[in-house]
Amino acid sequence: MKKFAYLLGLFVVILAFVSFDLFTQNKDLERAVYATQSRDLSAATEKLSTLHTAVEQSLLFQDEKALNNELDSIWRLSSDLRKTVANLPIQAEVQNEWMRYLGKIGDNAKQAAATGDYENWRGKMGTVASNLHAFAEEWNIATVAFYENDGDLKKWSTNHTTDLKDSPFMNVSKQLKTYNETDFPLTASESDYEKKRELQHLKDKKITKSEAIKNFKKFFPNIDDSIVTVTKSSDNAPYPFYHIQFIHGSKIGYADITENGGHLLSFLLERPVKKDALSHEEILNTAKSFMNKVGYTDVKLSETRENHEAWHLVFTRVHGDDEALIYPDSIQVKIAKDNAEILGVNAMEYIQEEKIKEQGEVPIDWDKFFADHVGVEQVQKIYTGNGNLELRKCYEVIARLDNKTQDTYRIVIDTETHEVIKNEKVF
Amino acid sequence: MSMKKIVLFVIIISSSFVSHTFAFSGQDVQRGAFGDDVIELQARLQYLSFYHGKIDGKFGYGTYWALRNFQEQYGLPVDGIAGRSTKEKLENNSDFDKAWVHKQINAGNSFTYYGGVALENQVKKGGNGGKSSNSTTSMQLPPGYTEQDLQILANAVYGEARGEPYEGQVAVAAVILNRLESPEFPDTISEIIFQPLAFTAVADGQIWLTPNERAKQAVLDAINGWDPSENALYYFNPVTATSNWIWSRPQIKQIGEHIFCL
Repeated sequence: MKKFAYLLGLFVVILAFVSFDLFTQNKDLERAVYATQSRDLSAATEKLSTLHTAVEQSLLFQDEKALNNELDSIWRLSSDLRKTVANLPIQAEVQNEWMRYLGKIGDNAKQAAATGDYENWRGKMGTVASNLHAFAEEWNIATVAFYENDGDLKKWSTNHTTDLKDSPFMNVSKQLKTYNETDFPLTASESDYEKKRELQHLKDKKITKSEAIKNFKKFFPNIDDSIVTVTKSSDNAPYPFYHIQFIHGSKIGYADITENGGHLLSFLLERPVKKDALSHEEILNTAKSFMNKVGYTDVKLSETRENHEAWHLVFTRVHGDDEALIYPDSIQVKIAKDNAEILGVNAMEYIQEEKIKEQGEVPIDWDKFFADHVGVEQVQKIYTGNGNLELRKCYEVIARLDNKTQDTYRIVIDTETHEVIKNEKVF
Repeated sequence: MSMKKIVLFVIIISSSFVSHTFAFSGQDVQRGAFGDDVIELQARLQYLSFYHGKIDGKFGYGTYWALRNFQEQYGLPVDGIAGRSTKEKLENNSDFDKAWVHKQINAGNSFTYYGGVALENQVKKGGNGGKSSNSTTSMQLPPGYTEQDLQILANAVYGEARGEPYEGQVAVAAVILNRLESPEFPDTISEIIFQPLAFTAVADGQIWLTPNERAKQAVLDAINGWDPSENALYYFNPVTATSNWIWSRPQIKQIGEHIFCL
């Protein structure tokens, strides 16, 4: 009995030690999180103040060099502050609005430096500077709650988990929303981009559910008897579509078909794929005949990538006599390696369809454009979006460095302005 | 024909048959290809000092230029495609120790395969200490994406949606990628995934579970362009969601247990 009491006592002491240790570890962890979040909050406040000052200072100069220095700082500061904001323990909606606002400031600074349109910058930034000042004051008021919790870490964490309407960040959120709308209204290109994404140009006749099924069966006759459910998109979706789900033996998948015109937006099928592989040629032939069958005839193969089970192919719409590739109007196709069955189609971008505007072309002397040790391997004309969401006709150059590893680059250059829109290493 | 000549003829024919049986497959190998044929092609080109990149089974530009240079030097038509004649010329002029090369790849070792250099001097142990693994994480990704992106996205998809249909898993990956395009979210995949309170799997640690092949395939489809969510920026489980705000978002569609919204 004595021994039992002794062992029990020992057990209680050990348990107490373990519990205490766990409690201490939890507290340490809480304090570490608290310290990190406090640091991020303070950093955000400081960076906000620096950005505000930089925007004000940019309004001092007429001199191009001095102004460009400030614009460069503003772009870097806004980008840095975005990163900090992304880590703050605040509600998602506040974070989103704030990041959008900062992104707009940074984009405008970058654009002003690139285009030299300083008048536009000055016109906008007077208001932005005063709004940043007002916002900094509101931010300070809101964040006080984080520092006034008397060491109660639970109270701290409720600051970002409570609904926004009950939170000290309510005013901050309202302010940011207003500033985003008033300081940076949508540009014509942005507005066009939004319309395109919402498929507003699709004026085709609305189809019924049974017509959507008929279209599906026409596109994919091999799985036409396996439809399980057809639902319509939610009422407030940006564009209406039918969502068709199917199961056929081990095959399971879906297809989305627009209500306006019954266009195939996307299709994906999952099934086990055997190890046998058909040739690249057989895969391509199947893909091409599928494209013809569904009426995508103004496209050209622009990319192929093999993986363990399937090939991913990209077909791109071509335009004009020079067959320039309109990259934003591409269709992705996924084909099984074992029997060349179509496993996926993504025609969303193709259906969004870009409007092509006439654009001038000024030839480039590649020998003068590139350094001596660079070889131009391929040049083709393409259409792609620039930083301002404008579709531009460009030269797409594949250039190779004359080094041991023969590093290869893809450089995209505006055919009219010769602006380098993209410069990336390709593997 | 003397007996000696007949024996020699038989030996030559059989050795050439053996070499063709165990070497390249019968298919043409070209840019965009992936797998064992490309591994052999890269190894043989490296053996002959035409290729200096990583032997990873991905036929990219590095392999393409090396192959063209080989074709040019050996008097073959220069098309950058490893067809029958190119493969034969490679086989006749180089060596390929398939077992050794695949062992290094499976072990995650860093290695080269230059001719005339002892193999043991061409290998450095990889991150997993040279232990054999059957990992198939390596995939051909569209430009702009890294293996690390694939890995962290697969972790997020597996942690968030492993019980969901395949379509739902692709949609979860697509939501993360849609955020990458949106000015309201951070600019990198990892920053988006680890934004405080953005994903439940990060908060409850399920993001650290090892993803299965299905989750990786779902991510691969999403980064190749598929978006079953139809441009959604958020999703939530209507049974467990407690935020009033998320219910206020314009909804697009429901896949499995998740409602996808803007």
